[in-house]
Amino acid sequence: MATRETAAAVKDIEQYKYGFVTDIESDRAPKGLSEDIVRFISAKKDEPEWMLEWRLKAYRYWLTLAHEEPTWAKLHYPKIDYQDAYYYAAPKQQIKLDSLDEVDPKLLETYKKLGIPIKEQQILAGVAVDAVFDSVSVATTYKKKLREMGVIFSPISEAVKTHPELVQKYLGSVVPYTDNFFAALNCAVFTDGSFVYIPKGLRCPMELSTYFRINEKNTGQFERTLIIADEGAYVSYLEGCTAPQRDENQLHAAVVELITLDNAEIKYSTVQNWYPGDAQGKGGIYNFVTKRAACRGKNSKVMWTQVETGSAITWKYPSCILQGDGSSGEFYSVAITNNYQQADTGTKMIHLGKNTRSKIISKGISAGHANNTYRGLVRVGAKADDARNYTQCDSLLIGSTCGAHTVPYIETHNPTAQTEHEATTSKISEDQLFYCLQRGMTKEEAVSLIVNGFCREVLQTLPMEFAVEAQKLVGISLEGSVG
Amino acid sequence: MSLLEIKNLHVSVVGKEILKGVDLTINAGEVHAIMGPNGTGKSTLSNVIAGREGYEVTQGSVTFDGKDVFAMAADERARAGIFLAFQYPVEIPGVTTSAFLKTAINAKRRAEGKTEIDAMEFLKLVKAKTKALGMADDMIKRMLNVGFSGGEKKRAEVLQMTLLEPKLAILDETDSGLDIDALKIVSEGVNALRAPTRGFLVITHYQRLLDYIVPDFVHVLAGGKVVASGGKELAKELEATGYAKYQGAAA
Amino acid sequence: MKSPGILDHAFGAAYAKRLGGLPGAATTALDALRQRARVTLGTDGLPGPKLEEWRFTPLRGLAKIPFIPAASAEDIEVSDVPLSVPKIAGAARIVLVNGVYRPDLSDQDFSGVSVSPLSTKNVDGRELLGHLATPSAAPLVALNTAYMAEGIALHVHGAAKPIHLVSIGASGAEPAAFHPRVLIVAEANSSLTLIETHVGLPGQPYFSNPVTEIVLGSGAAVRRYVEVAEDADAFHLATTAVAVAENATFEAFHLGLGGALVRQETHVAFAGTDATVKLHGAYALSGKSHHDFTTVIDHHVPSCKSNQIFKGVVADDAHGVYQGRIHVARDAQKTDARQLHKALFLNRGPKVDCKPELEIYADDVQCAHGAATGEIDPDHLFYLLSRGIDPERARNLLVEGFLADAVNEISDETVRDVFVGQIAGWLKKRGVQS
Repeated sequence: MATRETAAAVKDIEQYKYGFVTDIESDRAPKGLSEDIVRFISAKKDEPEWMLEWRLKAYRYWLTLAHEEPTWAKLHYPKIDYQDAYYYAAPKQQIKLDSLDEVDPKLLETYKKLGIPIKEQQILAGVAVDAVFDSVSVATTYKKKLREMGVIFSPISEAVKTHPELVQKYLGSVVPYTDNFFAALNCAVFTDGSFVYIPKGLRCPMELSTYFRINEKNTGQFERTLIIADEGAYVSYLEGCTAPQRDENQLHAAVVELITLDNAEIKYSTVQNWYPGDAQGKGGIYNFVTKRAACRGKNSKVMWTQVETGSAITWKYPSCILQGDGSSGEFYSVAITNNYQQADTGTKMIHLGKNTRSKIISKGISAGHANNTYRGLVRVGAKADDARNYTQCDSLLIGSTCGAHTVPYIETHNPTAQTEHEATTSKISEDQLFYCLQRGMTKEEAVSLIVNGFCREVLQTLPMEFAVEAQKLVGISLEGSVG
Repeated sequence: MSLLEIKNLHVSVVGKEILKGVDLTINAGEVHAIMGPNGTGKSTLSNVIAGREGYEVTQGSVTFDGKDVFAMAADERARAGIFLAFQYPVEIPGVTTSAFLKTAINAKRRAEGKTEIDAMEFLKLVKAKTKALGMADDMIKRMLNVGFSGGEKKRAEVLQMTLLEPKLAILDETDSGLDIDALKIVSEGVNALRAPTRGFLVITHYQRLLDYIVPDFVHVLAGGKVVASGGKELAKELEATGYAKYQGAAA
Repeated sequence: MKSPGILDHAFGAAYAKRLGGLPGAATTALDALRQRARVTLGTDGLPGPKLEEWRFTPLRGLAKIPFIPAASAEDIEVSDVPLSVPKIAGAARIVLVNGVYRPDLSDQDFSGVSVSPLSTKNVDGRELLGHLATPSAAPLVALNTAYMAEGIALHVHGAAKPIHLVSIGASGAEPAAFHPRVLIVAEANSSLTLIETHVGLPGQPYFSNPVTEIVLGSGAAVRRYVEVAEDADAFHLATTAVAVAENATFEAFHLGLGGALVRQETHVAFAGTDATVKLHGAYALSGKSHHDFTTVIDHHVPSCKSNQIFKGVVADDAHGVYQGRIHVARDAQKTDARQLHKALFLNRGPKVDCKPELEIYADDVQCAHGAATGEIDPDHLFYLLSRGIDPERARNLLVEGFLADAVNEISDETVRDVFVGQIAGWLKKRGVQS
C-alpha cells in the first residue's frame, strides 16, 4: 500500500545548484597519461628533483598494476580510459597572490555561487581558506596571521619548495604510492592540494578550510593534502567539494594524509557534494579517494567526519592507524545516495598501540535506484592491549528499488580488547511520515527532517557553519525520493 | 457554513467495512464528543479526516470549511487547519522537539504567506506555552516523543495544538495513559483553546475526560454508525449503563 | 585455465585412478553427477586465500598433504564407535566410517523416515541430489560430488524418530580423505530431529569433506544439531545447503570443539513465505584449532524470519571465525533477519575474525547484526570468588554462562543437555588455566 511504488518514478530533480561552469581561460596539459605528462606536471610546478623521482616511481608502479582497479567494492561502472583525460588544468591567470583582491573576480563569483563567503569567513568566522580550483590552489587567505603563529598553511606545491624537509619526511609516509591503484595514480599526477603544519603546543585558533572544485571539462582532479599536527597541537580542518554539471564522468582521485604526534589532535571534516549525475545516472564524478591518518604520537587523536551526498561513485575509507599508546580515532559518516548513485564507503581502524580507542558511527541513506555500502575494518593487533572499539552502522532505505549493505570486518588478535559492533537497517516509517504531514509539513520537508534526525549524531560533530550547509544538503539530495 | 460536515461516510480497511454511513456536523465554536466501544471505528474516523493512507472511502463526503477534504493531501489538510492529537504520538529519533515545532510552524506560516518565524520569537513563544502547560523548559531540546512518558507525550500534543492554532482539533483518546493530574493539565490546555472560531472533536472511550472537557454534543459510535446523539448528559448515561444496548442495536 | 585464487592440490591425481571403485559406480544417476563435478574440478582446485570467502581460512597447509582416497586404504579398520561419542536417548544411530555406511555399527529401528545408502539402486528422492549443493558454486562441493564416498539419504514422511548420525574419520599409514554425502528430503508437514557427531581416530591426519543437502517441504520442521569434535590433526570442511518452503521451520545448531582446521558452512535459501530459520552455534577452541562458521542466508521471498546467534571461547593459539551474509532480495519485504557473534578470549594468543554482512534490496525489513569480543569480566570473576568459588570453577561457570546464550537456543532438551555436557567436558579437559 501507500507511496512506496511511486518512489520508483523518481522525478527529475535537477537540484544541482552548483552545476555551473566558470568561464576562465585555462592552461591544460595535452590529453592522456605518460611519463612525459608526469614530467610536465612536475616542471609546471617547478618541483625539485626528488619530487619528480617519487612521482615517476609511483607512475611506473601504477603501470605494473596494468589498469587493474580494485574490484572488491560493490560498485559498477564502465572501464575508465585513463588516456582520455587531462591531468593538468590550471586557471591561466598567474597565481602568486597574497590577497583576495588580486583574484580574478570571476573566480570569486564562482565561490559566491558555491556559498563560500571567503571574505566573510575571513573576517567574521576567522576561517582561513585554501581554495583549490581544478588542481591549483588559487588563494590562501589569512596566511599571514597564521604564519606569525608558526602555522604553515599553503598549497602543497608551494610547501614542496618552502618546507621541503617537512614534505619529504611525511609525504607518502601514511599512504605510500604502492598503497592502491588510485593512490599510485595520485602520487604520479597530483597537481595541488593543501599542506598544513601546526607547530608544537599550538591550538590553531581558527578552522582551516579548503574548497575543491572541478571546473574544466574532461579533467581528472588529483589533489593531495598533507596535515601534520606536531606534539600537543590541534587543528580543525574543513574540506568542501563541488563540481559543475556535465554529461561525462569525471575522475577525482585524491589522497589525504594526516599525522599526529604526541598529544596532538586533528579534526577533519568533509562535505562532499560533487556532481552526482542526473536522475537517469548520466554523468557525475567518480570519486576514488584514499584518506588515512597515522596517530603516531601518544594520546593523539584524529576525528574524521564526512557528509557524502555527491558523486556518481564514491570509493572512500578515511582510516586511522592507531600507533601511539592511548591514541584514538573516530569516524562519523553520513552517506546519501539517490537516483543511480553508488557509494562504497567506510573506514579502517587499525589498533597497534596499547589503550587505543576507536569509534565508528555510520549512517547510510539510500533512495531511488542507488546502492550504498558501508565497508569497514576494525583490526586489533596482538600488542594492542586494552584496545576499545565501538561501531554503529545504520542504514535507511527510501523506496524499494535501492540497496543498503553493511560489510564490516572485525579482526581481534588481543584478548584484552573489547570490540562492539551493531548495525540496523530500517525505512522511514509510515507513522513518522504521517505524523509530520499531519503537522502541515510537505513530504520533502518531512523526509528531510526525519533523515536529519537519523544523521544527527554525525552532523553534530561538524563545525557550526558546515553543519547548517550539511543539513540543507541532506534535504536537497533526497528531493524526489518520496513520491 | 459548517466547519466540518461528514455525510454518509463509508470507509473500508483492507476490504473490511469499518464505517458504515457516518453523519456528523461540527460548527465553529462547538465541542463534540464521540464515544463508543473499542474497535468501533473511532480512530478510523479521525485518521480518515486527517488523511492517513490505508483507508478506502467507498461512499460519502467530508467537507472542511466548504472544501472537499478528500481532494487534499494530508499536509494540505493540516495547513488548512485540521489538527489531530494522536492517541499514540510517534517517536522520531534524532529530531529535537524544537526543530520539529519550528518546521511545522513555518510550514503553516509559509502557506499563509507569512515570513518564517525568527529564532528569538520562536523561543519566546514556546517558552510561554510550555510554561502554561506545566512542562519543563528543556523538554523542547529532547528528541521528539523519544522516551516521553504517556503524560509528556499528550502534553506535547497539546503544546503543538496550541502553537499551530488549528480551526478543527481532533483529540484521539487523549485521556488514554494519563493519570488524573496529567488529565487535568491537558484538559486545561485544551479548554484554553476553546474559541468561537474553533471546533473540537473529542474521541474517547471513557466519560472521565468529559468531566474536564465539557462537550456541547455527545455522539455514540457503534457498529460503524452514529447510533445516538445528545447533550453532555448522554455521556453520564453511558457511564451508568455502558455500551451494551448500542452494540445490540448496531448489530 | 584455473580461476584466480584457486589452489592446486596434491591429491587430485590419487583420486582419478579410483573412479571405478567408488561406491555406487555404475549407478547412472551418480555417475552422471560425478562426471559433471569432475569437469568443474578439472578447472578448479581448492579455494585459495584470495577468494573473499576464504580470506580468514587459508587452505595452503591442507593442499600440501598428499591425501589418498580413504576407500583405497586397506590398512584402516574401525570396529567400534569411539567412547567420546555421546549416546542420545531415543535416537536411532547411523554410523558412517570414512563416509561409508556401516550397517554393522548402525541401528535399524527407524520410523517416519526411510534410510538408504546413496549407492543402493533405488534411492527415494535421489533425483534431488546435487540440486542445492551445486559443484559449480563451490570447489569443495565439486570435490565431494566427484569423489563422494557413498553417504546416506533420509526421506522423511511423517513425525520421524530422531536420528543420530555418527561420522568417524580414520587414516592408515597415509593421510586419507573422504567425502561423505547426506541428502535429507523432508516432505510437507513432516518433522525430523537429526543429531550429528563428527569424530575421528588419532594417527595420520585425515580430511573429511562432507556435503549435506536438506530440502524442507511446506510446513516441515527439521532440527539439526551438529557437533564437530574431530581429532586434533584432522581437517573438516563441511558444506550444507538448505532450501526452505513456506511455513517450514529449520533449526540448526553447530558446535565446534575439535579439529586442526574446521569449517562449517551453511547456505539457506528461502523458497516460500512465512518460513523460519534458526541457525545458531557455539565453539570452544584450544591448541592451534581453527574453526570457521560461515553462513549465507538468502531471503528471496517475503515474510520470512532468520536468526543467528554464535558464541565462542578461544584459548591457547586457537582461531575462531564467523562470517555471515544475509541477502534480502527486492521482493523479500517484511523480512526479519538477525545475526549476532560474540567471542571470549581466555588468554593471550588466539585470534577471532568476524564479518557479519548485510546485503539488502528491500525497504520494509528488519535487519540487524551485532558482534563483540572481550575477555572474562574481572568484576564477574571477583564476584564469584568472593562467594567462595575457586578460580577454575568460577571461570568455567562464566564460560558456560557465556556460551549458554547460544546453547539455550537448542529447542530439544535432550540434545541441549548433551551439548552442555560436551562443553563441560572440553572445559574439564583443559583443566586449570590462568
